[in-house]
Amino acid sequence: MKTRRMIAATFLTVAGLLLTACGGGGSGAGGDGPVTLTFQSLSDQPAAIAATQKIVGDWNKAHPDVQVKIVQAGWDGVYDKLITQFNAGTAPDIVHYEAAGIAPFATDGYLADLTQYLPEQKRADIPKGVLDSVTVDGKVIAAPTELQSYVVFANKTQLQQAGVTIPTGATMTWDQLRDIAKATTKDGKFGLGWGLSSPTAAFVALAPGFGGKYFDGTGTTAKLSVGQGEQALPQLVDAMAHQDHSILPVTLTQSGTKALAPFYAGQIAMTVQGSYQAANIAKDAPKGFDWVVLPPLAGSAGPAQAANPQTLSVNKDSGHVKEAAEFVDFFTGTENLAAINEADALIPPTTSARQALTTKLGAKNGWKEILASGEYLTSAPYLFAGKYAQWKDTVATPAYQQFLGQKIDAAGLAKQLEDGWKSVSK
Amino acid sequence: MRVLVRPAQYAALALYILFLGFPLLWLISASVKSSGELNSLTVSLLPGEWHWDNYTEALEKQGLVRSAANSLIVALASTALSVVIAVPASYVLARLKGKVRAAGVGWILVSQVFPVVLIILPLYLILRTLGLADNLAGLTLVHTTYMLPFALWMLQGYVAAIPVELEEAGAMDGASRLTVLRTIVFPLLAPGVVATAMFSFVSSWNEFFFALVLLQSPENYTLPITLNMFVGGEGKVALGPLAAGAVLAAIPSIVFFSILRRKLTSGLMAGAVKG
Repeated sequence: MKTRRMIAATFLTVAGLLLTACGGGGSGAGGDGPVTLTFQSLSDQPAAIAATQKIVGDWNKAHPDVQVKIVQAGWDGVYDKLITQFNAGTAPDIVHYEAAGIAPFATDGYLADLTQYLPEQKRADIPKGVLDSVTVDGKVIAAPTELQSYVVFANKTQLQQAGVTIPTGATMTWDQLRDIAKATTKDGKFGLGWGLSSPTAAFVALAPGFGGKYFDGTGTTAKLSVGQGEQALPQLVDAMAHQDHSILPVTLTQSGTKALAPFYAGQIAMTVQGSYQAANIAKDAPKGFDWVVLPPLAGSAGPAQAANPQTLSVNKDSGHVKEAAEFVDFFTGTENLAAINEADALIPPTTSARQALTTKLGAKNGWKEILASGEYLTSAPYLFAGKYAQWKDTVATPAYQQFLGQKIDAAGLAKQLEDGWKSVSK
Repeated sequence: MRVLVRPAQYAALALYILFLGFPLLWLISASVKSSGELNSLTVSLLPGEWHWDNYTEALEKQGLVRSAANSLIVALASTALSVVIAVPASYVLARLKGKVRAAGVGWILVSQVFPVVLIILPLYLILRTLGLADNLAGLTLVHTTYMLPFALWMLQGYVAAIPVELEEAGAMDGASRLTVLRTIVFPLLAPGVVATAMFSFVSSWNEFFFALVLLQSPENYTLPITLNMFVGGEGKVALGPLAAGAVLAAIPSIVFFSILRRKLTSGLMAGAVKG
């Protein structure tokens, strides 16, 4: 799939250059009428769609001369859709996507630099690590809108029955998690379930907690090195699975969502999931299921996690870059970000919106810990490594699966990851 | 012993049908299960509690009916166009001799080699120039263009299977070229036309990529695009509504197939008698 994308990207870029004579620039009505901006939204949850519509409605009401029209699209296939739109010169004025997906478009020069349009106060409100994730070659190419972190959901009853003191501090260590998993592994039940069928995203995102960076540099010149910081988490999971036997083995080959079923059934006491699963757990868990979110996990280098926020960007070829950027600024206002993140059960990328949501929902199950984990989101070098997506699918995921299946050891894993990167980034 | 053969045959057939139909049964079952039940370890064919909200959500919140109507228009139109173009073209292709035929067949095969991602941008630009981008008529043209080589390939095989001697016999009896085609060739070709129509309809009905890229306005979205909306970021899937939507999406195909199946049977019989 990714290879196909790479071929398509290369072809479309060349074809786009040859055929731009046929294309026009951006969108938006000209003439005497109001400017109309198209906003391709990927919101998928009914509540988030409603929240988006409300924000756009508020904007349209307050700005009769600049009307925004939502074009609803889906996440699946959006890269192919966007690359065609950008090459054909028909991309929407405002683009909803994620930092990892939008970075290549910025590198290819399709996105407007929002630095001058986002007020200093707004940029100061975004933690540096998160702002770095949307900064390419010194230009802010998107405004972050929503974030997720990896958190531990725990069955409170099972932990209490095992005599475990439920951690309540600002953070908890991975060693504490390992101890709790060991303590709750008994009577045919396991301490932890972790859906690691596609482990790369989690391992790369959680590596900063151990000082792991994976990548240095950007684009095609990015270098990959797998040292102690990068190896720490895979080795910990391996030890929990094969020495402690505290991870339900089948979950290592399942998706994250699939690992929720044994959690609901009491087969596992804890599960590591994307923070957004809090909404699903609240909806799907059996009646009386007493669950909590444990404090953010900290490794040897602290509780940092790599941020890959959802984003709003502006098409550089839009006839109304300024107006589109002003809408992005409006969309990412504190109240709006709080509303959209509440609807999606995600973490606002600005400090003010996170505080607003903490005030509103802090007492609600899981929200306090999830929002707290947002404080530790930091820059993600992998976002800017040109062939990361290809490496992730064709090299890293198979290599991690072999490692977790004990087919290769840590040295073999490091060699496969590094050699694989050299091969794909040739 | 002989008495037992027939019931055993029926039992085997029933089991085979059950085997083939199981995914559909599972889909229907999933469409009426709650999210909690779909995400539990307890696996059962029958839902513990019937949950019709999935259908409500699929129909109301995602505009499934409008998308189904769009899909139906595009699929029927592109099927009709494909068949109308493919029938005479395939006849010519099958009956032609020499280098022109070889070149025609070669081109059909070559046209199937290109990945769709490589042709989407030129197609998009052409359609936009024609004012047919983000338009069901444009999508119909694209589907027809994309399906036509395979339809031609399929139909020319059927034409080639009709002995030329039958046409020659008709001519010897004094029938004109058109009469031969109408009374001898077309009835024998009917099963092939029906099969090609079925193939074309299903291809267009299920087509995702062209529709994803070419259609921009939600009011023009076809069914696969709308069903895709049930799959969100971070691997989130609204499984219940997606299953409900898939069940509803299967209905027009089933209806279309049951109508054409009868034609397929009668066509086969007509061919048998004439042959």
